[in-house]
Formats: sequence, structure tokens, C-alpha cells
Amino acid sequence: MPRRADGEVLLLWTLPVLGVVWLSAFLLFPGFVEPMSPTMSAEQVAAFYRDPQNLPRIRYSMIAFNWFAVGLIPILALIVLQIRRMAHRTPIFSYAMIACAAGGPTIFLMANLFWLLAAFRPERDPELTLLLNDLAWVTFSSQVGFLIAQSVILAVAIHLDRQERPVFPRWVAHFNVVVAALLIPAAFTGAALTGPVAWDGVLTFWVRNLAIGLWIAVMAAVLARAIGRQRAEDEAAAA
Amino acid sequence: MNAPRPESAPPAPAGSFLRRIAWHWRHDEKCELWIGWWTLVVFYNLYGLLFFVITRTQPPPEPSLDPMEVVQWFGDRRHGLLYGYALVFIVGGATAIMNATLAYSIRRMSVSRAFAYSYLVIYALATLPGMLLMGVACTVGAMRPDRDPAVMSWLYDLAFLSFEGTMGVFLIGSLIWMAAVLLDENGVFPKWFGYLNLCNALTEVVVAPAWIFQSGAFAWDGSIAWWINMGVFVIYTTAFLTLLRRMILREDFGTGPLPELATDPAAGSAP
Repeated sequence: MPRRADGEVLLLWTLPVLGVVWLSAFLLFPGFVEPMSPTMSAEQVAAFYRDPQNLPRIRYSMIAFNWFAVGLIPILALIVLQIRRMAHRTPIFSYAMIACAAGGPTIFLMANLFWLLAAFRPERDPELTLLLNDLAWVTFSSQVGFLIAQSVILAVAIHLDRQERPVFPRWVAHFNVVVAALLIPAAFTGAALTGPVAWDGVLTFWVRNLAIGLWIAVMAAVLARAIGRQRAEDEAAAA
Repeated sequence: MNAPRPESAPPAPAGSFLRRIAWHWRHDEKCELWIGWWTLVVFYNLYGLLFFVITRTQPPPEPSLDPMEVVQWFGDRRHGLLYGYALVFIVGGATAIMNATLAYSIRRMSVSRAFAYSYLVIYALATLPGMLLMGVACTVGAMRPDRDPAVMSWLYDLAFLSFEGTMGVFLIGSLIWMAAVLLDENGVFPKWFGYLNLCNALTEVVVAPAWIFQSGAFAWDGSIAWWINMGVFVIYTTAFLTLLRRMILREDFGTGPLPELATDPAAGSAP
């Protein structure tokens, strides 16, 4: 059934488009390029949202994220299908991957809602804008659990894929362990308003977000190879 | 999940703990199930430690604290909240593998896949309102001790009511598990466990008044809404962990009735 893999290739090609949208929205949001500092006072945070230069950029970038955040789920679903092709005795790892695929984007959407709420009535009491801004940043930065789980599950699943030609090469498992480790410091976001783990810090903001971006790019590349091989095998079987 | 392993595994060594683990990792065909089971055991204990000892958010404090007392409450356990919930956030995703393992036990039953899939999705979405949202609320509360006390009081309510007041997912999830156990003809779990699921589902019914009462037995820290709930939960969890372990020992990777264990309990090869 070659047509099946064709549909998967179509889903995979949504990723470059998604990447462009995400990157554009990231650059558009005025709080990301130079990440907002957690040390800003309630008045400064309120002024950030009230600034007529910032307000439309906050709203439009977050609307774009709201539209396209779940766009990653089809890619995660393709990974689930590759896990199913592994030489496992049970579907536990593909089930667990489905659970992660639902969890990660939902958490990002929650953060997105808090940002949009803060921008909806910028004239609100600054204490409340500060609260919404804190909820957005803490949710966005600290919620790495499903991303870590996803990488650990993939690493274990790849190691247990003991067959002549494994679905993913062994180095993908090691790569996932490294990514999982790079995400850990971000969980401590709340514990510091300054320094590397603060939400604008090197570890929590730059390392974490770059690790996520790298993970998506690398997994897409190995996914493309696995799907290509699967398609060739299907065609050979059909011939 | 399509290729069987070569069956010529060497016998399990009697050596050190690490060598035994390594043997199971390399040769045990039930390795995936044991990973799931050990994740359940380790993480239920870890969550207990994190919620009861490190963050000290369980047993819950009174809902009737005034805003200044709430500020005090956050201040008293500031580092426990910030670091404890950071650990919860790191390991929180383990629930995915835990729920996947429980969903597999339902898949092994002679019932429609719809039961396993519903269970998996319901518990996957439960993690967010039922656990992570509390962590976010406590972190945001603890990170700025000088925040407006009225806002702190709102975060306090959000933390405890989202944690305890997320009821439907556990109510419906338990009922789905109950129905699957009672319908199952493969004998994966004993029928009494089906009824124990009903007890667990009922605890979610008696929690509902926590959304209404600010003090007394029905409040979120009350003897009915919290203590009975927790008692049933501990019995329920212990029961399914024990039964799940037996299921794994009995597993033959077939689709028919699960074979019973040999009378000699040492015949199994649990790591």
C-alpha cells in the first residue's frame, strides 16, 4: 500500500511550513527576542502590554501560536507510527508517546492563553497583568515534563528495537538522552528571578528552546529517512 | 511490536542487582512491561515524597485561611514549593508511561480497544488540571512573596481546587476500568477489582462539595473530601500495582485467557 506512506510524506512536509510560522511568530512577539525579565515590577509589566508598539505584536504573534501550536501533533503521530514498527512485544511505548503528544502542546496552549489574556485588557490592575504574565512564563518555561518523557521513551524504545535493521539508528537514542538532559534546568524557573535558570536565563530560555528546535529538526530528518525506506520496502513488496 | 525475540536467552544470573537488571534489559521478553511496572512503583512513591514531604502541600491546609495567612503559608514553605514542584515538572511526564502500561492491561482483556484508548486519553489529559496546574500555581505564588495578598489567595484556591476538584477524569476513568474488568473473559484482573474501581469512582463524587464548602468535613481538607478519598486511593493503588505485577508474571503475549501462575511463586522471573 504505497499510498499510505505518501500521506505520511505529505504530513512530514507540513513541518517546514510550520517551522517558518513558528519562527516568524517567535520573532514577532516582543517578549521573546530579548526575553522579558522576571525582575520587572508590576508597573513595568503593565507598561509592556500597554505600549502601543508592543500590543499588536503580542496579540498577532500569540494568535499565530494559538493557530499553529498543535501543528506539531501530526509529526509526533508519525513518530508513534515508527515506534509501532519497532521490534517490541507490546504497544506500551507507542501508547506513551500518544499521551505525550497530547500533553506537550496543551501546556503550550495554556501559556498562550495567559499571554493573550494579559494583552486583552492592558488597562487592568498591574498586579493582575503581572499575575497573567507570570502564569504564562512559568507555564511556558517550567513545563518540560512531557518533552523529557518523550525523549526518554524514544531512547528506551530505540534501544529495545532489536532487529536486523532498526527503525531508527542507535545514535538517535543517545541524542534523545542529551536533549532530555538539556531540558531539565528549565523546570527550576520559579526558583530564581535572575541567572541561568530564570525564565530569561541562558539555560531556561536559550538552551531549552534551541534543544526543542534541534530535536524537531533531527527527528524530522530521521523520520524522513525511515518513511522513505518504508515506502521503498512497500513498493518492492507490491512489485 | 511485530518481531518476536530469539528465545535462546541464557538463564538469569544470580549475581548483583545491576547484573540482574542488565540481564532483564537484554533478554527478558517482558522487559517493556517491567519498565512500565517499575515506573509506576517508583513514581507513585516519588510523588508521595514530593507532595507530602518536600512541598508539604499534602495533607492540604485549610481553605478558610485569610489572604495574610495565605501569604504566610507560601512563605513558610517557599523553597519546598519552588524546588519540589521543579522535580514534579521534571518527572511529571512519567505519567505517560504509567498510563500506557495500565492501558495495556485493559488491551489484554477480551474487550473492545475503545476501553484502553479511552482510559489512555482520559488519564493523559488528567495530568494537566489534576497535577501540573497545582504546581504552576504554587510556583507562581512562591516566586514573589511580595505579591498582592488577594492574588496570592486566588493562586492558593487554584492550586488546591484544581488538584482535588478535577473529578470527572478519575470518575469516568475508574468506571471505564471497572466496566472492562467486569466484561473481561481473559481473567486479567479479578472481578473484585472491578468493584474497587467503583469505590474509587465514588470518592470523586464525595469530593464535589469541596467546590462549595470552605470549612468542615466536606471542605477540601475535610475528613470526607480528603481523608476518605486518600484512604481509598492508597488501597486502590496498592491493589492494582499488586494485580498488575501478577498480570505481567502471567503474561503469555497471546489474546486468550491469561494462564494462572504456577503454584511455586519463585517460578516467575520478576526482577
